[in-house]
Amino acid sequence: MRRVVTTARPDWRAKAAECGFGFHTIDDAPYWDESAYYAFTLREIEHGLEAPSEELHAMALDMVERIVGSERHMQQLAIPEPYRDWIAQSWRQRDPHLYGRLDFAYDGTGPAKLYELNYDTPTSLFEAAFFQWQWLEDQLARGQLPAGSDQFNSIYESLVEAFGTIARRIARPFHFAAVRASAEDQGTVAYLRDCALQAGIDCGLLAIEDIGLSEDGRFTDLDDQVIGCLFKLYPLEDLFRESFGAYLPRAGLQLIEPPWKALLSNKGILPLLWEAHPGHPNLLPAMFDDGGELPRGWVRKPLHSREGANIAMRLDDGRQLATGGPYDGPCIRQACHPLPAFDGHHPLLGSWVVGDRACGIGIREDSTLITQDSARFVPHAIIEEARGVLIA
Amino acid sequence: MKRSKTAALLLMSTAPLLLTACDRSESASREGLYTSVEACVAQTNDRDTCQQAFAKAQQDATATAPRFANRKACEASYGKEQCAERSDGASHSFFGPLMTGFFLSQMMSRNGVAANGFNSAPAFRDSNGGWQRPATGAGGVYRGGAGTAMVPVNATPNRAVTVSRSGFGSSGSSRGIGG
Repeated sequence: MRRVVTTARPDWRAKAAECGFGFHTIDDAPYWDESAYYAFTLREIEHGLEAPSEELHAMALDMVERIVGSERHMQQLAIPEPYRDWIAQSWRQRDPHLYGRLDFAYDGTGPAKLYELNYDTPTSLFEAAFFQWQWLEDQLARGQLPAGSDQFNSIYESLVEAFGTIARRIARPFHFAAVRASAEDQGTVAYLRDCALQAGIDCGLLAIEDIGLSEDGRFTDLDDQVIGCLFKLYPLEDLFRESFGAYLPRAGLQLIEPPWKALLSNKGILPLLWEAHPGHPNLLPAMFDDGGELPRGWVRKPLHSREGANIAMRLDDGRQLATGGPYDGPCIRQACHPLPAFDGHHPLLGSWVVGDRACGIGIREDSTLITQDSARFVPHAIIEEARGVLIA
Repeated sequence: MKRSKTAALLLMSTAPLLLTACDRSESASREGLYTSVEACVAQTNDRDTCQQAFAKAQQDATATAPRFANRKACEASYGKEQCAERSDGASHSFFGPLMTGFFLSQMMSRNGVAANGFNSAPAFRDSNGGWQRPATGAGGVYRGGAGTAMVPVNATPNRAVTVSRSGFGSSGSSRGIGG
């Protein structure tokens, strides 16, 4: 794994505009950054990331089965009592899920270490599935990448296939919803909807704020149609605590991601995974936090923090790092395993699982050890090293 | 190869990313399920489009209808007398349900006039009276060889008077959902 400085495509901004990628620059700061890319060998991808992602995904689904049978685990994950039966029911009937992203620290040498599961509202999808793919094709055509370079990225094909597979189980009408004012979230649902349409599924877009409630406690769209299935790019735990939330368990509304994802997009899954698989090479030691002083070599994370908010980190040498943010409530502790540094940049690897298939990665790099919303998306390529050794 | 062979976009290159209340009508579509061309004309007042949609659906019906090895298996799903023998042109014959209706969908412009072009698809009715359509009308990447997956259709959508909105979204910030 190497970080390679390269020349950006001269027309990348025009290409971004053509495909509706409007959030390549956020609040005047660059988000899409193709001045460099990460180069992997095929072995690093397949053995270092793809196989562990599928294994951890399977381990996570096994944990769901254990959690729904345990009031104690539901309590540890701070799942509000009124939603527990509904969540368990959604698992027992295997409500279909679509996608998730595992975040890893990885430098190409030791085993990738799982930081967390983003299994409810993962973003950076369009840039990983589409724009990164287009970058590779363009740079191959321009001769900026060695001939035969590849990319771990069948995210698009996997999304269309996944939608095609679950099409019969998606209730209609089917809407994609995200926060109205977030260009990034709107871009992500627009892309997912595009993939669903390509799988032959009729579906619409709706702002999460526009969802209505009928007198008999059902959810409606702007045309007063009762929504059959809602893809919501909006955290389940936020839906739970907002004013319409109490209607969810009895509204007959199908959700994607389904309610049982609340058990995985919760950092409480990390100590439970460690307890079930102690010493697993891709897991970091983790435990539920007792609120005491953070020892050296540990990180404290709230169950529900996102985008690197409210993280406290105490490095082995005693240095402390912390980020602010809106999240509070119960926390976990995870052994500190700092991100690797490549020329002063710290890449966090997002490994996409669509359906149950690990199908691609997207890399966000930050100048700090805690990846936040200041991170930039940097593309990657699979480049085989010279084969001279084989000949010799 | 570890990457997608292609990466297509259907609407994103043209559709606006930001939703606002006033541009909803730009992307509105009209879709109907009709059991005859006459029923379609009565609803849309557009005989040409209805006839073309019917003809195209009928043409697609052989390719996209579920396939059964024998009449009995087909009738178990679609009812007595509702199946016919078909051939895929390569001298393979099979049984499939008769088309009992067709879908027509059209994009509507801002002033409520149907835009040029349409999508149509055959509709089938199973033995329980439920309507179905082929799942991959728009040509998904993973179209199976032997017929297409069928999707149930809610032909009479539910309506309910909305009594309140904005009960979701109060936690939403401009960024930070993704994690």
